Amino acid sequence: MNRRDSAIRLARSGRIVTMLSLVLLAGIYVRALVFTPIERTQGAAQKIFYVHVPSAWCAFLAFGVCGLLGIAYLWLKDRRMDLLASSSAEVGIAFGVIILTTGPIWGKPIWGHWWTWDARLTSTLFLFLLFVGYLVLRGVVTDPDLRARFSAVIGIMGLVLIPFIHLTVYLFRTAHPMPIVLKPSAPSLPNVMLVTLLLSFGVFTLLYVGFLMQRYALAILRDVREEELANAA
Amino acid sequence: MPSVSRAALAIAGKDIAIEWRTKTAIISGLVFAILVLAILYFSRDPTEVSDLAIAPGTLWVTFTFAAMLGLNRAFLLERERRAMDGLLLTPAPRSAIFWGKFLGNLMFVGTIEAVSLPLFVLFYNVPLWDKLPQLILVIAMATIAFVAVGTLLSAMVVRTRHAELMLPLLLLPFLVPPLVGGVQLTASLLNNRPLSEVWGWLKLIGAFDIAFVTVAALLFEVILDE
Amino acid sequence: MTSAPASTPPADLVLSARDISRRFGYRRVLNTVSLELYRGQVLLLVGANGAGKTTLLRVLAGLLRPSQGTVTRSAAVGLVAHDAMLYDALSAYENLAFFQRLHGGKDPARIRALLDQVGLADRADDRVGTFSRGMVQRVAIARALLAEPTLLLLDEPLTGLDERTTRIVLDVLTGLRDAGTAMMVVSHQPTDFLGVATHIARISKGGLAVPEPFTTASTTAPLTYDGA
Repeated sequence: MNRRDSAIRLARSGRIVTMLSLVLLAGIYVRALVFTPIERTQGAAQKIFYVHVPSAWCAFLAFGVCGLLGIAYLWLKDRRMDLLASSSAEVGIAFGVIILTTGPIWGKPIWGHWWTWDARLTSTLFLFLLFVGYLVLRGVVTDPDLRARFSAVIGIMGLVLIPFIHLTVYLFRTAHPMPIVLKPSAPSLPNVMLVTLLLSFGVFTLLYVGFLMQRYALAILRDVREEELANAA
Repeated sequence: MPSVSRAALAIAGKDIAIEWRTKTAIISGLVFAILVLAILYFSRDPTEVSDLAIAPGTLWVTFTFAAMLGLNRAFLLERERRAMDGLLLTPAPRSAIFWGKFLGNLMFVGTIEAVSLPLFVLFYNVPLWDKLPQLILVIAMATIAFVAVGTLLSAMVVRTRHAELMLPLLLLPFLVPPLVGGVQLTASLLNNRPLSEVWGWLKLIGAFDIAFVTVAALLFEVILDE
Repeated sequence: MTSAPASTPPADLVLSARDISRRFGYRRVLNTVSLELYRGQVLLLVGANGAGKTTLLRVLAGLLRPSQGTVTRSAAVGLVAHDAMLYDALSAYENLAFFQRLHGGKDPARIRALLDQVGLADRADDRVGTFSRGMVQRVAIARALLAEPTLLLLDEPLTGLDERTTRIVLDVLTGLRDAGTAMMVVSHQPTDFLGVATHIARISKGGLAVPEPFTTASTTAPLTYDGA
């Protein structure tokens, strides 16, 4: 099977995975809204937690994968790693947008303002901006090999940066409630909420994979076209 | 074939010699620092915000912008007549180019900081002389962070279009940890708190320095290759 | 393979390039180029814009890595490229001293000798930024000669030079050739190199034709080329 056909098959599978996860996501919403109890202090608005936190996880996963693939590219010099890395970065940016919009929507009813400099939002914002820069950089470099190498460097540096951003924000006083599930001690969410959250994590990860498959398939198709154009010249 | 340290010192020395002769970056850095310090001084309500409250942030914003000016200039030098290719044609080890540029940039940014600091004390009336050693330590640690990442990134973007836009765009997210740390530490010092209270920030910047100097040195050769 | 006289001993081989290919993305800029250069040979490289001349030179100089193939050089290579690779704020002497340090040496006498050879002895301490195009080019040549290269690569060295400077440069090149330095020169005006170049080859769409001896006939008759 040539590259074009396998890419089209990948896109098709990706579409199926995405649709499946969207259906499951609807299920999660139902569970969250109807079957999971309302949180005492924050009220119904707290339910956005089930979307907000897993999206954050997906964004960081996407950027982390991008960085790891950068290492893989520098080591193996396989162009596909670069295409996968940039696809992951784009998907990460999509999730970043979700967090940066749902965060304020959550924040407004609870704290009264749209934006707060809390841990998760702030970390996501800076990483988001870095990866926007990553894509802009890819846009201005014309040589594909140079572009892949530069992207790998930024991706790897971004990977190293993630823990430092977290630490910075953690040290800085925040208004966001301490991450309930990810506290060093045992998670203090009641079981029902914890299960909803974990299910949500799973579904969002599946959604990430679905998006990634489709975006990567598109990247491969573009690459195939470039190859054809170059050979024809 | 020259050793890494010899070649790096030669390169750093060359950058310093050129800067000393032309003084363009130092002068524009200085003027820029004065302008930023002055503008930030006036852009607040003095009854609400005291000099001391605004001082740490102002100082570090000034340092950041001045550093970016300098970093860009350092690599534009090599771009002018493609002098970088000249460096690559010599048998000098490639890592020497990184260390040489890193040292040169440190000298340069350090000089701007050294000149901005008295101005800062002058404009903002901050009582800083008894805490000078600690402050210099903090500034030095954060500057190493800026310059390590900045040297790597400026080498990268100098070969792209819109280099002057790409450098701040890519660099600023990396400056957040040392910048925030620097501001917090400076504020703490100016308010007469002992450094031991903000030990966490010092460790953060220290770890950042070690991590990013290592990563930048390792990745530098990747971006030099063609 | 070059048409070198059969009696030349292999010890005189200065450069050997085998099946050099270089891609830019998927586009082939150089296509299995093979080449041998011997002491005292001056190969003129001609071809249309975009044919791959500058790329080939940069690969041979070691600035670009070939996607495939190998380059074997006997010793130091000097490159005189489109851009001078010098620092405007430093003087001619300081530029040369700096690059000499990066070659691992410190030999002021040699720098003075080189500047003298290119006719810039009296301007040694002036900033390169104040130099005319011809003077900058001559400093660039001096820089390329710092490490006493056995191979000198020149990319359109006479572009923008006045008559006098052109004469000086050609004299320098002739002297180097007679002393045994091999050279490869990219030029759009082969006639400039009559009396200097020994061979000529055409590059077309990334492929290099077999080099032929360079005579006055070469500049008027169409070159044979077996394509890439």
